[in-house]
Amino acid sequence: MSLDMAKYRRIFIEESTEHLAEISRALLDLEKEMGNGEAIDTLFRMAHSIKSMAASLGYDPVADLSHRLEDRMEGVRRAGRVRSPEELGLLFRGLETLEAMVAAVSSEEALPQADASLLESLAQEESEPGEGPGGASDGSGGERKKVPT
Amino acid sequence: MARVLIADDASFMRQMIREIIEPEGHEVIGEATNGIEAVELFRELQPELVTMDIVMPKRSGIDAVKAILAEQPTACIVMCSALGQETLVTEALQAGARDFIVKPFKPDNVISTLKKVLEKDD
Repeated sequence: MSLDMAKYRRIFIEESTEHLAEISRALLDLEKEMGNGEAIDTLFRMAHSIKSMAASLGYDPVADLSHRLEDRMEGVRRAGRVRSPEELGLLFRGLETLEAMVAAVSSEEALPQADASLLESLAQEESEPGEGPGGASDGSGGERKKVPT
Repeated sequence: MARVLIADDASFMRQMIREIIEPEGHEVIGEATNGIEAVELFRELQPELVTMDIVMPKRSGIDAVKAILAEQPTACIVMCSALGQETLVTEALQAGARDFIVKPFKPDNVISTLKKVLEKDD
């Protein structure tokens, strides 16, 4: 059997646009409070949902990037907080790239590939302070301060 | 043929499952958009089969499966998972879910999985 993929493309654009707006709001909440559990959970779920839809339609660059974001957010969920301002910046870059991709789908343009450095950075798990060098949290402890709520 | 409840927070996925299974004679009797709704609609509608997404707001698909099976141990539930969710799928199967289908959905795979679990249920 074959599915009406034009219909699903329209739904993808509608739902992804809503999800990206939710991701944007969640990131703004995380900017204020890096341990905002609701925002962390929302971002994880929205990235997961975009990934599943994009994979269903063969939008591989969207699926790849949203998968990396989802994996990154899994690490954030485990840590209970965004671990550094750099990590937050990375998530914002991911959002901007996804927005450009969904806009390309909407205008029926060729899908842009995600910047390889963005994908690599998302895949590098953030180290917790005290785990040794290599992560953005380099042991200074600054990022582990309790963020005012 | 079965009366089916679809639980998924994404309208995209709910419509896709519906479009795949309705031509096979299954009747979609309800759609839930989160884990709490899934449990409530299961109670209300008593479907013969539930397709349950894992990642949902308010209450996860895994929690919803456990809640449904605690009330009705014979409930027939098929998980909808994505790549990378193997651990969660295993947890759902251990909790009593019958089988799973993987996103992106392949219509033939969805149809054959549902057929298999419903035949076992007879």
